[in-house]
Amino acid sequence: MAEIRVGKPDVKPDAPSHVKGVRQGNEKGAYKNEVGHHEDGTADSRRSTGVRAGRRDPILPSMPNVPPG
Amino acid sequence: MAKTAPRPAGTEPGQLVEMSWDPITRIIGNLGIYTKIDFANRRVAECHSTSSLFRGYSVFMKGKDPRDAGFITSRICGICGDNHTTCSVYAQNMAYGIKNPPLAEWILNLGEAAEYMFDHTLFQDNLVFVDFCEAMVKDTNPSVLKKAKTTDAPNAAVHGYRTIAEIMEAFNPFEGAVYKEALQISRTTREMFCLMEGRHVHPSTVYPGGVGTMPTPTLFTDYLSRLIGIVDFVKKAVAMNDDVFDFFYEALPGYEEVGRRRVMLGCWGAFQDPAVVDYRYETMDRWGKAMYVTPGIVIDGELLTTNLVDINLGMRILLGSSYYDDWVNEDPFVTLDPLGNPVDMRHPWNQTTVPVPQKRDFNEKYSWVMSPRWLHPQTGEHLALDTGGGPFARLYTTALAGLVDTPYVKSTGSSVQINLPKGERLPEMTLEWRIPKWSNALERDRARGYFIAYAAAMAVYFVEQALGRVHDGDTRVFDDFEVPDEAIGCGFHEAVRGVLSHHLVIKDKKIANYHPYPPTPWNASPRDIYGTPGPYEDAVQDMPIFEENGPDEFKGVDIMRAVRSFDPCLPCGVHMYVGGGRTLKKIHSPMFGATHE
Repeated sequence: MAEIRVGKPDVKPDAPSHVKGVRQGNEKGAYKNEVGHHEDGTADSRRSTGVRAGRRDPILPSMPNVPPG
Repeated sequence: MAKTAPRPAGTEPGQLVEMSWDPITRIIGNLGIYTKIDFANRRVAECHSTSSLFRGYSVFMKGKDPRDAGFITSRICGICGDNHTTCSVYAQNMAYGIKNPPLAEWILNLGEAAEYMFDHTLFQDNLVFVDFCEAMVKDTNPSVLKKAKTTDAPNAAVHGYRTIAEIMEAFNPFEGAVYKEALQISRTTREMFCLMEGRHVHPSTVYPGGVGTMPTPTLFTDYLSRLIGIVDFVKKAVAMNDDVFDFFYEALPGYEEVGRRRVMLGCWGAFQDPAVVDYRYETMDRWGKAMYVTPGIVIDGELLTTNLVDINLGMRILLGSSYYDDWVNEDPFVTLDPLGNPVDMRHPWNQTTVPVPQKRDFNEKYSWVMSPRWLHPQTGEHLALDTGGGPFARLYTTALAGLVDTPYVKSTGSSVQINLPKGERLPEMTLEWRIPKWSNALERDRARGYFIAYAAAMAVYFVEQALGRVHDGDTRVFDDFEVPDEAIGCGFHEAVRGVLSHHLVIKDKKIANYHPYPPTPWNASPRDIYGTPGPYEDAVQDMPIFEENGPDEFKGVDIMRAVRSFDPCLPCGVHMYVGGGRTLKKIHSPMFGATHE
């Protein structure tokens, strides 16, 4: 910095980056912890609902599983 | 509107009249244009552009967690913040060595396309066209309005207005039909944006490694139905643009000189192709060329390069008229790029911002904007590239490169063909933007209308691609990553009004250096160390004046058209200048009309 007078910082510059105990979104294995999401990039209806999810899956295995929202 | 302070200049009393507009209204931020006008010869003799606010993002980004960069840099701008988030994600992806899953890339492209449509519509129809509306033309060029009343509009069959004057009436602020419809359209396009990126304009679902948007079929059909609802407006807008701008050339011979400058354009490319992009620096040339808006540099109508590595290495941040101390004595952060090419000390990767606030002096230092230039590898010139307000450079490079070839947008080598689907009223239409003879105010404004069409047509393609993946059962939109201890990255994107780059250096998992270079530093830059004026100054200087008013009633509409054609954006402090360097009051204005003390 140049000759600008600045005050003492109240917080460290990286203060908001991470709060201890909160899971980080980018951590390894995030996919595994998300129900209904599969490692191969597909998903099933468990992603959308916890109520008898299996019955909302497609009726034939050849159909893509496109969960409703 | 403008605060004009007519008074004779010191150098040639009675001949030159100083006119200043500070702040310039109907743009974002605190741009001041100070001119000396020769009313006898109806020319602008001298022009300085100045910005009176220091932002300091590059200063306070240091030491922060790099994962926060996208969220923080988004706040640089209240209208195109998402472009910063996206660009930051590109830069972070390179630094972390990851890439977005294909579906995430389509979602990002869709969000950005909606942003272009939103912002360009708002700026063009609600802000730029006020300079071309009936009320303004009546005040500044009554003879032109008289002519417009008897001139038939060639594209009346498309837009429904019989004469040019009828179109101009529709542009009238708060009353005209086009003005009001544009407000509705920008609301719809904003909804489209929010579907993809969560929130406008600071996205909540865009992260390095992907997006948090849930990719359901409904997401894309909701977007598509809104898009089809606005395509007719886009078709009409392009037809109206063409009619009005062609009329100005005809009614005011010589109007092509307004805002004209040498063709020196830069475009950093937009819309990644997920099949090609891997965000590695080593392959940046390949995935840069695969983008759906081709990056490139055009000098005097010739395409100099489309290689993002060349573009990156040629960047130089010069000082000269800016309130900063030089950083050449600081330690460099990056001496060689990942390909082994030397990186200059004046490159954004090595920049250290050393602000030195001082009094404005047009013979010395007069702006907080630095002077980004691009070093011509053959001639050694530091080129003051402009973005042509964004769309002009994007269409120019894409047209010349001839690389974009999709069912909806095709580049021919000299033009860009845009195919818009059938809307509610108008049939399917093919629009063609051809490279114009000049780089001037009217062509910059005209290109904006065409680029809305470009973004709409590309969005149809992106929806098709994304829906195809969803129907195949693909739902992957994010990837895990770890922040490396040390890394560098750069992101190249197009903010709405032109080139945008983010340069990032990570040390100890924290940001050691971060430099966003948005379009306005390029466009609004002051004279550099070599005395080269920035694009606004260059375009306005020596420009003819067509306004019929004399010095007392002068509105400066021609100058305003020239400056606004660049889509200026200097968030976000505004002050009022009342002559003699006295500052009347300081206000912060985060949005149009709202003022907070």
